[in-house]
Amino acid sequence: MDSSAVSTEHLTRTFGKLVAVQDVNLRVAPGQFFGFLGPNGAGKSTTIKMLTGLLAPTTGRIEILGLDLTANPVDVKRQIGVVPEGMALFGRLTGAEYLNFVGRMYGLDRETAAKRTAELLDFMQLSGQPKSLVTDYSHGMQKKLALAAAVIHGPKILFLDEPFEGVDAIASGTLKAMLQRMISHGATIFLTSHVLEIVERLCSHVAIIHQGRLVAQGSLEDLRAGVEAQAPEPSAPGEPAVAPARNGEKLTLEELFLRIVGGTRLADQELSWLG
Amino acid sequence: MTDEHSNEAPALASAQFAAIARVRWQIFINSLRSIRGRMEAVSRGLVGLWFGVGGLGGGAALGFAAAFFIGHGHVEWLAFLLWPIFLFWQLFPIIATALTETFDSSNLLRFPLSYRSFFIVRLVYGSLDPATAMGSLWLLGLFVGITVAKPLLFLATAAVLVLFGAMNLLLARTIFAWLERWLAQRRTREIMGLIFFLIIVGVQFIGPITARFEHHSHAQAAQYGEALLPVERVLPPGLAAASIAQFSRGNFTYGLAPLLLLGVYAVSFFWLFHVRVLAQFRGENLGESAAAKPASRARKLPVRAGWEIPFVSGPTAAIFQKELTYLTRSGPMLFTLLMPIVILLIFRVTPGKNGVNTFMNVAPNFAFPVGAAYALLMLTNLIYNNFGADASGVQFWFVSPARLREVVRAKNLVHMTILAAEMVLVWIAVDLMFRTPSLLYTIATIAAVLFAAPINFAIGNLLSIYSPKKIDFGTFGRQRAASATAFSALLVQAGIFGIVALAFVVGVHLHNLWITTGVLLVLAVFAFVGYAAVLRHIDTLALTRRESLIFELSKA
Repeated sequence: MDSSAVSTEHLTRTFGKLVAVQDVNLRVAPGQFFGFLGPNGAGKSTTIKMLTGLLAPTTGRIEILGLDLTANPVDVKRQIGVVPEGMALFGRLTGAEYLNFVGRMYGLDRETAAKRTAELLDFMQLSGQPKSLVTDYSHGMQKKLALAAAVIHGPKILFLDEPFEGVDAIASGTLKAMLQRMISHGATIFLTSHVLEIVERLCSHVAIIHQGRLVAQGSLEDLRAGVEAQAPEPSAPGEPAVAPARNGEKLTLEELFLRIVGGTRLADQELSWLG
Repeated sequence: MTDEHSNEAPALASAQFAAIARVRWQIFINSLRSIRGRMEAVSRGLVGLWFGVGGLGGGAALGFAAAFFIGHGHVEWLAFLLWPIFLFWQLFPIIATALTETFDSSNLLRFPLSYRSFFIVRLVYGSLDPATAMGSLWLLGLFVGITVAKPLLFLATAAVLVLFGAMNLLLARTIFAWLERWLAQRRTREIMGLIFFLIIVGVQFIGPITARFEHHSHAQAAQYGEALLPVERVLPPGLAAASIAQFSRGNFTYGLAPLLLLGVYAVSFFWLFHVRVLAQFRGENLGESAAAKPASRARKLPVRAGWEIPFVSGPTAAIFQKELTYLTRSGPMLFTLLMPIVILLIFRVTPGKNGVNTFMNVAPNFAFPVGAAYALLMLTNLIYNNFGADASGVQFWFVSPARLREVVRAKNLVHMTILAAEMVLVWIAVDLMFRTPSLLYTIATIAAVLFAAPINFAIGNLLSIYSPKKIDFGTFGRQRAASATAFSALLVQAGIFGIVALAFVVGVHLHNLWITTGVLLVLAVFAFVGYAAVLRHIDTLALTRRESLIFELSKA
């Protein structure tokens, strides 16, 4: 295909009659902090699962770092780090044992795996309970451990499925610092998140998937320009357009998102029993 | 009983009960959408039928026995009938809980259920189990038998048996509720698992111990019986029997006293159950999540490098270490692995009838093969559900750069290592308990294991992918493999043991055990070729099945 870090061609996935992802053509350039957005059930998780080898595409092609994922799964996986939806932790290991294990699974030698484990535990502030099993960790601690495991081998691309879900502000700050550091070292990050403020703050590029189809892709500025160029006129006198741009202010990602997926805030709609 | 919403309309409570019943029914109906769910339903139906037959048959037998005792003037002997009912009612649910999934009623607490409703749900739903059904049927049989033999006892028997049944129900629920409390936390759960295992092992020794007592004189046995009698009389079955006995003699006052005491038991259990349910209703927090400690208070330990295993790649060594670490953190699982030794011990201490010793004592040469076979059998749960303990961690195998065949081979290597270690232990145990296994039998047994293990691994690897089930080594309950897996494993083991037994029979018959060894080694070559073929295709199979594998093992 091309020199993209991640690229897909006509990526499609069906579950029986349901088309979860349809004809998706993604391009993520190396070094980008890429946000993959979409409403619930749009196909975000299905796409990220296909990109990381957790799910087979029905049709289409995936290239990661120039390698065909189906033909070279091991070579691809060696160069990527993944925090999947369920975090994929082994609950009955301690944090140190888990990181050590993951490091060796990615081919690190014993000493390097142990050294990086210690560093990561310190960085993620997880070294305080060396004997606690992962199953006894809080949700935030598990997220930090999952991220530590995903980066222990120094991946070129990091795939994160909802990395900030259920994470408190302190842990979230640690995660963001780590991700920024990786970007500054030339890594590519591909994340999905429902928290648009975080995506707006972190990501340079985004793609939006809606009902299984890719409806927008590009830098935030590109998306803004595209949306503003197509800003709909009010449909009736006195009725505001959906999420209007404020005078002189840029559209926020949330406003862009709502315009692109055609969603509206249902604040004015009534529920029969609430009045 | 505290009612925190005493003004709740009874209509709301009835609607809630109906909604709960309906949702349970819907869950059942939805479970039938999958083949696996339908198979589970059929197996439950068969088990239910078996319990039904047991309940009705047992009830009839107890009825006849009760009528016989009453007819022959031995009303006190009813205690002999009430004790088994009592023990079954209390012990069976505990054992069954270790094997089945139960409805977690604490989920209902987010709804506006009054305490009274919650209490009733806990009592009623928990009571819809085979023990209650069979216990009730048995008491009904007893009631019919007694009243047929002596119609005048109709009312008194009804009162005593209803109270006895209610007491059993409450005690069973109380035990369950408190067990649930202890099982809610990992550490207490593991302790409970060990206690449960020790009880199971202890039960195995009842046979040998009673067999030993058979050799004691009747006078001695009577002495023991008399010493225990005062204790027996104040326990619920003894009280129920005493009450009916007194009523049958027309001593109403003396009949009421044990009945009242039985009532005291029932009320006490009711109160203990209430204490537990109320704590749950008020939202007790049994969470175990570790809170992050401030760095200043953190007690760091140096991170040790992983294992290095000669001739084995780094990832394989890492998987090997991970699997063994998992096993060593599971008390119940470790004790399961000790079972072959326990079984040998049971054979050793069981005296035979008429001076003839048990099979193992008569043919000690077979102690080692039987012990080795048992060791393999004990590993079935692990071998046939390779990914079960990984739970949602199974995703890691698909995102990591390791090939699935490498993962599965490492897991098989761990199981083979455990099997080898078990065989060494069994050999030593046989040497100490029976006699040193002969070289010929030792070699033939090793050949048998070399034949049996690859077949088990090959089929186990396939079933691990096609019929996975999440298990938690830290829990003593719900550790069963999927029904389809258990059934297939049973068939495979039956076939393998049949072939091995045949090979031994031929060898023993021809007085040449080298024939057995030779045949088994040839079969082992074929078994290994089959294993290698399965392993070659495991990546393709696992990738085809990855979605269902991940889905099944990531279930909450």
